Amino acid sequence: MSETYDFLFKFLVIGNAGTGKSCLLHQFIEKRFKEDSNHTIGVEFGSKIINVINKFVKLQIWDTAGQERFRSVTRSYYRGAAGALLVYDITSRETYNALTNWLTDARMLASQNIVIILCGNKKDLDADREVTFLEASRFAQENELMFLETSALTGENVEEAFVQCARKILNKIESGELDPERMGSGIQYGDAALRQLRSPRRAQAQSAQECGC
Amino acid sequence: MTSSGSLRIELLGRGYVEKKMSNDGSKKQFWKRNSAKVPGSIQHVYGAQHPPFDPLLHVNLVKAGNKMQMTPGKPKKATTFQEFESITSDAWDVGDDDDELLAMAAQNLNIEVVMETANKVIENHSKLQERQQKQERRIEGEQEEGEERLHQQQQQVEEEVEEEEEEPSPESVRLDASPDSRMVKSLSEAYIGYSKEVYGEKSSLQRQCSLPQRPVIPLVARMADQNTSGTPAMTEREASRLDKFRQVLAGPNTDLEELRKLSWSGIPRQVRPITWKLLSGYLPANVERRASTLQRKRQEYFGFIEQYYDSRNDEHHQDTYRQIHIDIPRMSPESLILQPRVTEIHIDIPRTNPLIPLFQQPSVQEIFERILFIWAIRHPASGYVQGINDLVTPFFVVYVFEYIEEDVENFDVSSLQEDVLRNIEADSFWCMSKLLDGIQDNYTFAQPGIQRKVQALEVLVSRIDESVHRHMQKYEVEYLQFAFRWMNNLLMRELPLRCTIRLWDTYQAEPEGFSHFHLYVCAAFLVRWRKEILEEKDFQGLMILLQNLPTMHWGNEEISVLLAEAYRLKFAFADAPNHYKR
Repeated sequence: MSETYDFLFKFLVIGNAGTGKSCLLHQFIEKRFKEDSNHTIGVEFGSKIINVINKFVKLQIWDTAGQERFRSVTRSYYRGAAGALLVYDITSRETYNALTNWLTDARMLASQNIVIILCGNKKDLDADREVTFLEASRFAQENELMFLETSALTGENVEEAFVQCARKILNKIESGELDPERMGSGIQYGDAALRQLRSPRRAQAQSAQECGC
Repeated sequence: MTSSGSLRIELLGRGYVEKKMSNDGSKKQFWKRNSAKVPGSIQHVYGAQHPPFDPLLHVNLVKAGNKMQMTPGKPKKATTFQEFESITSDAWDVGDDDDELLAMAAQNLNIEVVMETANKVIENHSKLQERQQKQERRIEGEQEEGEERLHQQQQQVEEEVEEEEEEPSPESVRLDASPDSRMVKSLSEAYIGYSKEVYGEKSSLQRQCSLPQRPVIPLVARMADQNTSGTPAMTEREASRLDKFRQVLAGPNTDLEELRKLSWSGIPRQVRPITWKLLSGYLPANVERRASTLQRKRQEYFGFIEQYYDSRNDEHHQDTYRQIHIDIPRMSPESLILQPRVTEIHIDIPRTNPLIPLFQQPSVQEIFERILFIWAIRHPASGYVQGINDLVTPFFVVYVFEYIEEDVENFDVSSLQEDVLRNIEADSFWCMSKLLDGIQDNYTFAQPGIQRKVQALEVLVSRIDESVHRHMQKYEVEYLQFAFRWMNNLLMRELPLRCTIRLWDTYQAEPEGFSHFHLYVCAAFLVRWRKEILEEKDFQGLMILLQNLPTMHWGNEEISVLLAEAYRLKFAFADAPNHYKR
């Protein structure tokens, strides 16, 4: 079943266990907080189409397990990722301290041009904050990352994080900095143009045929 | 390399334990090793028991039955399927019983639905007749529609009773309904709506969005064969099975082989705790030795607690403990649903789960933390890996149920006597340890056991159902993307807990059930969804399906069918390795 979009971007969500990666993804796709989120085993998959600068971009998102032992499996998903959300928990310095390692992994295993946005999650728990906005922002700037503080609970900045990351990738494509045709770019052209030529009736007839098997 | 490697780890572990007992000088030794963040560092452990996978070799391993203490004197000589069938013939009765019940129920339901719909039609009809003549055309239209609806509903009921999976998937309808490429905004909204249905309010039902319309009967009927929790009246067959178990368990020396045969097709709730303890090798077959063994083992476990549990906040253990401490409270309530309740069917997801209150009790969470922490520090080659926590649950629940006669929902664990609770804890620990002994390479560095099994699964599926295999290849779905979790959590994330418990009856009865037979169960499980899989025409649809397979309503029959198919596969391929090899 084909879909209508201009680009497809592969995304990753990475960061320590318990920082709220799955909840961010759930909030982004479902627009609500996942109360009973169990820890992720290996990877989980999610997808959503968003509208960025008048383009329809389909995000295929791999939500990875944070635990160290799963690293050998989750690493294989880095290859061919166009963008990544690197998540830490603002109430846990330990998760912030681990960022360098995650960053090294991502830069080494994904494409050189991977666009990364740093997300300081659990913004709603400001009373328990262990990492200030300022120092995280400085880290982001030093490592050429975009940066936002997010809350998967309230939804604050969650959509923005994905959209900003996608927008930066689109800009890079337009400026020629990123070449979607290059192998492992994590970017594919959609079939929007192709789809527009087809009449809805024919499309329906075709899908009916497909389902009949 | 392999054998000396794993030996060294074992020794390291023991060395650590000894040092720890004498002094605390050897800090940070082994524990940190595993969490070294050096990318690509391959320094670990392909266990000596687990040489690189070779189907031929593996078959021999199974036959050799290297768990001899569990299979005394019985290298499984089976045999033909007929023999198997005669041994376990009652495995099939489950379905038969149900068919009858379902047929009866369907009949009743048909009448109900027919009457209700017929009344509606008549009502509509008479109302309409009072209206003006102008509308006569519409009257006819609605009448026809009403009749059609009646007919459809009748048909639907019949189909659903016959085969529950026959419904058209709602999302395909939805996607087809919005092909207008100019309205891209609404299209993207449609996608959001679509995924809402997939994970949303109905998340636990996943794609079975039409469950509310489904007749209540299958679940009610299923109540009868649930031997996990308080059941209504036993059927005759169940009673006779229970008798057989009691006979086997009565002697001074339990015939484990006989017990295994009986258990393969499910263990009655009343004798499950003792049977699991025997089959896992935790309890000796000799009745006289049991009490002393239990006493010794329980003492040993609480000796570990005394010795090590205080070290959970030490620098070299705190990572482990912290992880466990994060994981336990967020253990998935879905996987804890033991028994679908009739009343819940009307609200389309089971909102109250009798086990949730149980698992929210701090004392229960502490039990899990202790069990996992002690296991982790005694097995430094793997340590605590997420997923292992799930493996405690079936043991704990089965052993707690030994003491729960009344309503589970309001059961307060602290009302159990302290020593009873301690016994449950120690028994769960040892049985889980036995289980993990057989699959430890699932959890060592780079998780070679899982990698190997996922590869084997792929080969197996390509042999047994080429169209499914090709379909997944076509859309670039890799087995690791969905089956990793199947192996890491032994399908516990894919099945309701009651099904896991039933599955484990067989896994404990089957030689190398958890480490080897599970592979065939996974293959049967995947192929079980062939229709749904082949209907998905893109990567995204396939991934979402495979990560949310709709098993919420599953009960014993589905598991029995799955196991029978797995058994067939095992014999088809284990005895004919050339079939297995590509």
